[in-house]
Amino acid sequence: MKAIELEELIAERPAKKVYRSGDMAVKVFNEGYSKADVLNEALNQARVEETGLPIPKILEVTKIDGKWSIVTQFIKGKTLAQLMEENPQKLNEYMNRFVDIQLMMHSKKAPLLNKLRDKMNRKISESGLDATTRYELHTRLESMPKHTKICHGDFNPSNIIVGDDGVDYIIDWSHATQGNASADTARTYLLFCLAGEPGKAEMYLNLFCKKSDTARQYVQQWLPIVAASQLVKGNPQEREFLLRWTNVIDYE
Amino acid sequence: MENKRIIIDGVDKLRLALDRVREAQKTFATYTQEQVDKIFLAAASAANKARIPLAKMAVEETGMGVVEDKVIKNHYASEYIYNAYKNTKTCGVIEEDKEFGIKKIAEPVGVIAAVIPTTNPTSTAIFKILLALKTRNGIIISPHPRAKNCTIEASRIVLEAAVKAGAPEGIVDWIDVPSLEMTNMIMREADIILATGGPGMVKAAYSSGKPAIGVGPGNTPAIIDSSADILLAVNSIIHSKTFDNGMICASEQAAIVLDDIYDKVKDEFKKRGCYFLNEKEIEKVRKTIIINGALNAKIVGQPAHKIAELAGVKVPETTKILIGEVESVELTEEFAHEKLSPVLAMYRAKTFAEALDKAEKLVEDGGYGHTASVYLNVVTEKDKLNQFTERMKTCRILVNTPSSFGGIGDLYNFKLAPSLTLGCGSWGGNSVSDNVGVKHLLNIKTVAERRENMLWFRTPEKVYIKRGCLPVALDELKNVLGKKKVFIVTDTFLYENGFTKVVTDKLDEMGITHTTFYDVAPDPTLDSAKKGASAMHSFRPDCIIALGGGSAMDAAKIMWVLYEHPEADFMDMAMRFADIRKRVYTFPRMGEKAYFIAIPTSAGTGSEVTPFAVITDEKTGIKYPLADYELMPDMAIVDPNLMMEMPKGLTAASGIDAMTHALEAYASMLATDYTDALALKALKIIFEYLPRAYANGANDPDAREKMANASTIAGMAFANAFLGVCHSMAHKLGAFFHLPHGIANALLINEVIKFNATDTPTKMGTFPQYDHPHAIARYAEIADYLGLGGKNEKEKVENLIKKIEDLKEKVGIKKNIKEYGIDEKDFLSKLDEMAEQAFDDQCTGANPRYPLMSEIREMYLKAYHGK
Repeated sequence: MKAIELEELIAERPAKKVYRSGDMAVKVFNEGYSKADVLNEALNQARVEETGLPIPKILEVTKIDGKWSIVTQFIKGKTLAQLMEENPQKLNEYMNRFVDIQLMMHSKKAPLLNKLRDKMNRKISESGLDATTRYELHTRLESMPKHTKICHGDFNPSNIIVGDDGVDYIIDWSHATQGNASADTARTYLLFCLAGEPGKAEMYLNLFCKKSDTARQYVQQWLPIVAASQLVKGNPQEREFLLRWTNVIDYE
Repeated sequence: MENKRIIIDGVDKLRLALDRVREAQKTFATYTQEQVDKIFLAAASAANKARIPLAKMAVEETGMGVVEDKVIKNHYASEYIYNAYKNTKTCGVIEEDKEFGIKKIAEPVGVIAAVIPTTNPTSTAIFKILLALKTRNGIIISPHPRAKNCTIEASRIVLEAAVKAGAPEGIVDWIDVPSLEMTNMIMREADIILATGGPGMVKAAYSSGKPAIGVGPGNTPAIIDSSADILLAVNSIIHSKTFDNGMICASEQAAIVLDDIYDKVKDEFKKRGCYFLNEKEIEKVRKTIIINGALNAKIVGQPAHKIAELAGVKVPETTKILIGEVESVELTEEFAHEKLSPVLAMYRAKTFAEALDKAEKLVEDGGYGHTASVYLNVVTEKDKLNQFTERMKTCRILVNTPSSFGGIGDLYNFKLAPSLTLGCGSWGGNSVSDNVGVKHLLNIKTVAERRENMLWFRTPEKVYIKRGCLPVALDELKNVLGKKKVFIVTDTFLYENGFTKVVTDKLDEMGITHTTFYDVAPDPTLDSAKKGASAMHSFRPDCIIALGGGSAMDAAKIMWVLYEHPEADFMDMAMRFADIRKRVYTFPRMGEKAYFIAIPTSAGTGSEVTPFAVITDEKTGIKYPLADYELMPDMAIVDPNLMMEMPKGLTAASGIDAMTHALEAYASMLATDYTDALALKALKIIFEYLPRAYANGANDPDAREKMANASTIAGMAFANAFLGVCHSMAHKLGAFFHLPHGIANALLINEVIKFNATDTPTKMGTFPQYDHPHAIARYAEIADYLGLGGKNEKEKVENLIKKIEDLKEKVGIKKNIKEYGIDEKDFLSKLDEMAEQAFDDQCTGANPRYPLMSEIREMYLKAYHGK
């Protein structure tokens, strides 16, 4: 097999860079990045691939210049986020499309994926919140219905590529788990809010609840939990906002 | 003792603690009521004494609520609970009824896992521990991390006092460093869970796999009706809503006020220091109290002015309640939620119906099963109260009562059990719907000793016998009973042959008006009975005389019912029952219009002394057996003079019928010493005199008289002991192939005796008196009484069967069903249906051997071919 040439840098994150290499995309992780996390991400994506969802296929997991890298198909096209920005008059249409893709994803199952509940329990413990709030959040999580739907964990318009082939691809599966779809929805809602787009957040949640026949309160019950999990990222400008969302109490 | 305790801060130590509590509980389970009551008193007293320091600790630690109100809660949890249960028996035998052989024994459940909420961290702990001690249970407390110190201190105080009074050491324990993991562990390991807290905790309790008594959230609406005492209503709500800064789950969350008194109510609220938020302020408070549909932890149990401050609203520091006048009762309205603070929603309702709609929705929003409250005039507005009671899906419905105090019981109503754990029923996903108390923490063993059914002996109040007794007995109609109009029921043959003349002559002589209905055929039909009843309705008799064989007497009984109770549904009366004392249908009272006299003209059916009647629906061919003691004739006149001219065939068939009555009544599970004597005597007479009566007819009046008596005596036996599967099968055989009833019985009886006479039946009948299969011994007793001989029971039964065969032969009964001209193919094609119907016949229930349908089929087949 010929060596992979990293032609064009398409995205850069603190811990990784994404390059294009012909019809492949190469995600190169920084040196010192957990091998287990890299392999887990590749494994997650491979499991989701098996469900038949339109996602870039894993081609290879390899080391490039001593750095762990995941090689996938490269999808030509624009992200839904770009399209929303370029055509604001079509926001409604795009948001509908966005919700439809998410609902389609939630209809799939991948029984070997990690469990959302385990992940959330871990995140609550690591959130740095005081013992009382953690106890409340753990209790809240414990009481939520246990499902086994595919949850993306970072489902936002920048992770949808509207392919030139007419197919909408879902990318970035590093946070994928299986669990309650409303948690995934709450997470998306939170991401809109954190991006300073409360209007889109409302639009999104209303559409989701309508299309999936879900009560708004049911999604809302997850908000303190996803907010706590976001606290783990330790982003100082988000902190006060997230603390307000987590400091709630169950009725008695 | 505290120094012996290990601090429980992880699952390993918790596991050890659980073992310790379990050990202590084993000892505690052996304590007497006296020991337990002493411990209960000491524990309650200690908690009571510590009420103020514990209240202070709770407020300081949680930053919620009001010290003085928490003192009341602690006081309540110790004093009221002690008072309510001090005399309650919770150990050993708590109830006994020797007559009925029933005894109830209370046993502890074992180890209780108790989850304590932040809102009542000391009082709930005291409450649960006291209940545990009174019921000899061990208890492990899981405090909330926000209130752990005060909950633990309350537990420690109660435990120390209990141990000092003799309780086993370590009977109460607690988690020192709470975590959900440990809470879940005690819920999994304990024997029962007393969970108080939010829906999350309650759900966790219910999903732990252990029985849980959990309670859920409340969202109490309070309707103030136009008829309400406004002063009382408003001040009750203020009193209740401000109590411990609104932290009682039964506390009012919304006042729904009727339009015509709205302004007055509002003025009263204002006058008493409540603050009405303006539109802008409402919006600010909305965003403060609820975040993403969940309650903001910062406002719980805070005073009104502090919540206002958090929302950026300026109100006087003395403000009692923040009131938001809002319209929507949907969850999108923040004020429609439970608020656990002195914040109240107020709604305007144009009508009481609208108020009910709103209250119903608020309960649905978040208080299913908890509490609802109404203020109205209970004297003039009973109807409204009923509507309210009917509509609210809550387990506590409080009237003119502050709901915080009202819901927990014994403060504003003294029959509502005091409790700090309020069951919300299935509406709230709970296993209990009442206020939780000691009874929920006991296993009650019921010791039920075997008892026998009461039996009875019932027969007509008057039975007249001997030849020529008829006209003498009828004298009573005038002289004793004062009857004026007699309706005679008989069959065409008897009427045309002048059998009724002896009756009508006597009636004419006494000047009693009468009429005769004679359109009765063998196997009387419902149609004929209806015709007779209609004639009765126009004639309006005060006495009915049935004269004839079984058909006329049965038809007359049905007419009697239709005459007395034209409204009664015949199908209901014909409904099959397993036990005549437990039947679903209550048979109507008979004899209010007419006195019933039965005069048999054949010796066999016994209908003159039985509570039975069989009628056929001519449209469907279905026979309906009716049975109820209401159908028992008032008087039976057994005059052999009416039987002298019986033809041979009738003499044989009815005589054999009487024999099977006596045989089945003797073998029946319901047989008693009373019926036994009658059955044996009847059999002895029949074996001796039936051949004579058959052979000699009217020339042997003694034999006729003996058979007349035997028939009535056998009737008395089976009127009380009932029959068996021979009659079940005979009923269906007769109906399917038009065989006379007596003949059908004669063809089947020996197969039934063989079937019953075994010590190892496939299934024996179910009746407490029938303690082991012993039909063979019963038949042997008959053989002995008849002097048939035999070395053992088996031989005796064989001799009995032979004796019956001989008798049948002597009176001209053929050997088997086939000989009566019934085609084999036809018989086989109907066999299965006939067997199933016979199985379901009313007579089957008394048979000593419970027959399988296949066994009935087998007996039919054997009887078909005979030997």
